[in-house]
Amino acid sequence: MKIIVAIKQVPERDAQVRIDAAGKWIEESGLQYALNESDAYALEEALQLKEKHGGEVVVLTAGPERVGPTIREALAKGADRAIHIDCADLGSRDALGVAKLLAAAVKPENPDLVLTGLQSDDLGQGQTGVILAELLGLPHSSLILHVEKTDSGLTVKRELEEGWFRTIELPLPAVLTIQSGGNKLRYATLMGIKRAKTKEVRTVTAAELAVDSAPVAVLERVALPQKQKSTQILPGNPKEAAAALVEKLKFEARVL
Amino acid sequence: MLAFTATLAEPQHFSLAEKLLLVVLVAASAGAFWHRFGVVLDKILKSKKDPSFHLFPIGKRIWDFVCEVLFQTKVIRQRPLPGLAHAFVFWGFCAFVLVTLNHFAAGLGLGFLNPASFFGRFYTYFAAVFALACAVGILGLFVRRFLVRPKWLGEKLSWESGFIAFLIFLLMVTYLASFFVANADPATRILWWVHTLTLLTFLPIIPHTKHLHLILSPATVFLSRGGFSQIPPLVGDEDFGLIAGTDLTQLTSLQAYSCVECGRCTEHCPAANTGKLLNPKEIILGLRGYLNDLGPASEEPLLGKYNAQEAAFQCTTCGACEFQCPVGIEHLPIIVGLRRGAVNTGAWEDEYGSKLFLALERGANAHGLPASERDKFIEKQGLPIFDGTQEYCLWLGCMGGYDPKGREIIADFARVMNFLGTSFGVLRKEKCCGDPVRRLGNDLVFQQLADANLEAFAQSKVKKVVSICPHCVRTIQEDWKEYGTPPAIEHHSEFLARFADKLPKQSNGETIVFHDPCYLGRYRNVYDEPRAVVGLAGELVEAPRNHERSFCCGAGGGLVFLGEETGERVSHVRAAELVATGASTVGTACPFCNSMFRDALAEKGEGAPQLLDIAQLTARGLPERGAS
Repeated sequence: MKIIVAIKQVPERDAQVRIDAAGKWIEESGLQYALNESDAYALEEALQLKEKHGGEVVVLTAGPERVGPTIREALAKGADRAIHIDCADLGSRDALGVAKLLAAAVKPENPDLVLTGLQSDDLGQGQTGVILAELLGLPHSSLILHVEKTDSGLTVKRELEEGWFRTIELPLPAVLTIQSGGNKLRYATLMGIKRAKTKEVRTVTAAELAVDSAPVAVLERVALPQKQKSTQILPGNPKEAAAALVEKLKFEARVL
Repeated sequence: MLAFTATLAEPQHFSLAEKLLLVVLVAASAGAFWHRFGVVLDKILKSKKDPSFHLFPIGKRIWDFVCEVLFQTKVIRQRPLPGLAHAFVFWGFCAFVLVTLNHFAAGLGLGFLNPASFFGRFYTYFAAVFALACAVGILGLFVRRFLVRPKWLGEKLSWESGFIAFLIFLLMVTYLASFFVANADPATRILWWVHTLTLLTFLPIIPHTKHLHLILSPATVFLSRGGFSQIPPLVGDEDFGLIAGTDLTQLTSLQAYSCVECGRCTEHCPAANTGKLLNPKEIILGLRGYLNDLGPASEEPLLGKYNAQEAAFQCTTCGACEFQCPVGIEHLPIIVGLRRGAVNTGAWEDEYGSKLFLALERGANAHGLPASERDKFIEKQGLPIFDGTQEYCLWLGCMGGYDPKGREIIADFARVMNFLGTSFGVLRKEKCCGDPVRRLGNDLVFQQLADANLEAFAQSKVKKVVSICPHCVRTIQEDWKEYGTPPAIEHHSEFLARFADKLPKQSNGETIVFHDPCYLGRYRNVYDEPRAVVGLAGELVEAPRNHERSFCCGAGGGLVFLGEETGERVSHVRAAELVATGASTVGTACPFCNSMFRDALAEKGEGAPQLLDIAQLTARGLPERGAS
């Protein structure tokens, strides 16, 4: 089975994000980057499928030169080769534009399966994978926790709301967006990193893919969330106050 | 009939037939010896070279050799009675070198030591004293092995050892008996031949039994890696640690063949003593078995038939085995080497281990908490940021920066530093020092962490660092050297002890039992400083196992981050020992020990001693906050 995993490099989880001067994107200088979390699970799913059924895992990513280490990390964990779409201005592109680039790179590969994370940890739109499926004209399913290959295609476990799951079957080739937490991630090894040095990374420019990836949606303004703290004192005797607190935790904070 | 003649009797004339027989027997014995020893030597020499090995500085090697081999200090100090018995046997052998050479020379008519001459008389008497001591010693060791039977020697009785003891005893008795016969007496000739045959029987038994240590261990002690738990650097693109025979180095193979199976390592091992699979002696014997069966060119995995992966990952790296070993075996580079082989290739699969590695691949601390938690703590505590003007950089570490109790220790230590007027600051960003990944054998993550931290230190121009964690201190000072030049670092016990005369003495009648952290004691040789600090806070009480014999808390070697232990919990065994001293307080000097005992003592319920780090013990004696 030939599997393409589309991954994205995003600012590290602990990164102190600042807004850039124009207010249209985050200040990228000085930021540490890492592999998007749900993409790490997509990669893990692909590697496990390869271990079970054989085949090839190709990682695909769009981004500037800094994505190099993330590609290496994916190769170190077991991907066989990589395709890097070199484009510097990821912040000004929309999901459709990126999906068009990815689709153009996927098509000539003719994969059996395309996996990608459910959403990116930076923009969090959850659109790219689904649009990619549409552009490729392939069946797709989102929020996948588990993938099993059957004789006729795939059986996948989807996450619904409130702890419900749904198992569906779909034919191959297909596109799936993977939810975090379905598998246990493997750790990177020294051997993997050293072996990755000799694996193929093919770089193509956005221009070479010859698709019109101009954005149709433009980011107007980026802002940091406003931190708010408010304190409320619940009146009444302890019993009444406790009852009011439970009420608030249930229906306002929704933590109960 | 036997009467003391005051002179060692020797047959005065040997016939040609006797001389020929002697030559043939010596040749046969030496041949049989070499037939077996040559194979061992070949396996050692054909092992991979140790690329990081340096003979220099040679002074320490000579010193260690004189102490540990010639004077048998470690053998005696760690097991006084059997140690002394062993030393007598060893010294007897040394004294006998000249006697034995002369013995064979005399048989060929070439004797050079006339027992009737002044020097001859002196030397044979001198050797006789040692012969007597040696005979008593070997008898004592025989009684210990076959009648007392300490469990560390293994459940199976070694008849081979009994036979060797008999041969040694016979050698000494035949020598001593020769002082009670005259030269012309036929008994003299019989004694001479019995002595000769005993020696010639002994020689070929050496190479395939644990008595090989007679020949190898002096070399093993002399050729140590040059420091405690020295983990050799990986060399080239195909070195991932100890995976197969081809990864065994000459030192490792030499050590595997040096093991004398005394079981001191096992006796002191926290894993072996709490019902786990790991037995450090068996790790070494497993390697020896591998070398015997497959040799150093084999591609067969080292973990599997000969040693279990599970055992390798049960080691707390407390170093009791390596410290105890009287023949110079360095267990830690071997056990960590086996872990490296498994982790660097991804062969080790462990839920908790993977979680730890992923946390440190991506984040900054071993707990997997966001780095902002550390920032919040620094802000809340009002800790100054290091800007190059302060004297010390206070290293927080994963425990000091993120763990609630570790933070209390940092807060109290900061208070003490302020009281002493010592300027300090903390790094704005800090990553885990890499101790757990270093000991678990993840070289990839360890290098990433060491590189990032070395860079941070270089940028902030830090000169002196102080830390509350012995693991951080050791890792930063020794293990980072593989990737750069770390700043000078010391443990807070060393810092506090230096200011002992400026710190208030508390008189409260409190008894405090101090637990030696492995990474402060055995790893760093710091024992007196924390005791001096404890002495200021109350009356110091010693646990039954203390100083270099201290028993691990169970946290080291990355184990604190792994899952539930099999068997008994190491921390509970040690905590029970500390509680049994009756002390009202347990004093610690390592946040990991503290964390382990926090859980273990909680089980004791009310009446359990309180648990305080030496920084906390010191801080509580200071004038109230704000008064200074």
